[in-house]
Amino acid sequence: MTNETGALGEEYIDRVRTLAQTIEAGDSTEAARLLDELTSLREKTLFQELGRLTREFHEALQSFRLDSRIATLTSQEFPDARERLNYVVSMTAQSANRTMTAVEESMPICESLEERATALKAEWGRFTQRKMSPDEFRDLSRRLGDFLDGVNKDAPTLRANLQEVLMAQDFQDLTGQIIHRVVQLVDEVESNLVDLVRISGQGLVAERPEEKKEDRIAASGPPVPGVDTGTVAGQDEVDDLLSSLGF
Amino acid sequence: MNKNIKILIVDDFSTMRRIIKNLLRDLGFTNTAEADDGVTALPMLQSGNFELLVTDWNMPGMQGIDLLRAVRADPKLASLPVLMVTAEQKKEQIIEAAKAGVNGYIVKPFTAATLKEKLEKIFERIESSQ
Repeated sequence: MTNETGALGEEYIDRVRTLAQTIEAGDSTEAARLLDELTSLREKTLFQELGRLTREFHEALQSFRLDSRIATLTSQEFPDARERLNYVVSMTAQSANRTMTAVEESMPICESLEERATALKAEWGRFTQRKMSPDEFRDLSRRLGDFLDGVNKDAPTLRANLQEVLMAQDFQDLTGQIIHRVVQLVDEVESNLVDLVRISGQGLVAERPEEKKEDRIAASGPPVPGVDTGTVAGQDEVDDLLSSLGF
Repeated sequence: MNKNIKILIVDDFSTMRRIIKNLLRDLGFTNTAEADDGVTALPMLQSGNFELLVTDWNMPGMQGIDLLRAVRADPKLASLPVLMVTAEQKKEQIIEAAKAGVNGYIVKPFTAATLKEKLEKIFERIESSQ
């Protein structure tokens, strides 16, 4: 490029010198001819440069079009990724519901055990303090037997429900793997986009992208550490902020 | 605290509605109804004699902050206590919710104890203002 400019420069300088001499000599026909020559010389280099850029751009686009990976990405992998993420949503929902069903089933069992144990404990206290008649004791003894039968029956149900809660956590592993695959896809798309920007941006003056003004009030979901800024660190900070506002 | 009050739970995720419903039931509040966004919630509030609104922020359709504004703008609902339970935790958002007249703000993930504390605070204020 520098050599070219050098050679070009000499061509220009020679002609410009001759042009100056011709004008001084008053030869306007020759001066006009030299000016035309200079103009066409300039056009020639411009066209050469434009031609080179066009060819490079064409080749780059051609190679991009031929890259079957791009076609696969758009026709298969994006719809796939959408499906995968939808699957993650349904799996996490399923797991949350399994867990909550087990909890909802266990809660009344625990409440009933606690209630019956509290009642029996009070009566057992009366028995140990010898404040109970033989008839009452017979009744207490029968109810104690019923209670123990109940515990024997309820414990396996509680154990099965806890097991269910445990098993419902398997979604973390499965959804984690699916999300990893989607992240890989996003990485690949990003590097392809960077390539495209590099190719199409060649020879153009890089314009400074306009700074996007963020709408700080718009909902953006849970904050991701290291990505989102200006968020509070938890409930305590929310409370502090609100109390500073007079809440 | 009157445990028979009617409470509307608004969240686009049915699992979160279920969690809140269970926590409220544990605290003794059994009279609850559910809606999945502001658009469904608003007519329910206008016709349903609700005494507390528990709402998420980020929902399709009408968002929680807009639901809060709509509630405050409706003369019949203006004094309804609103508890926001959300993952939105930018300072600007919390300030915005406070300006819009929220009565309590809980960030997800939250605990049963936090929900209890905020509810008690809301009811204390209502009682002391009466």
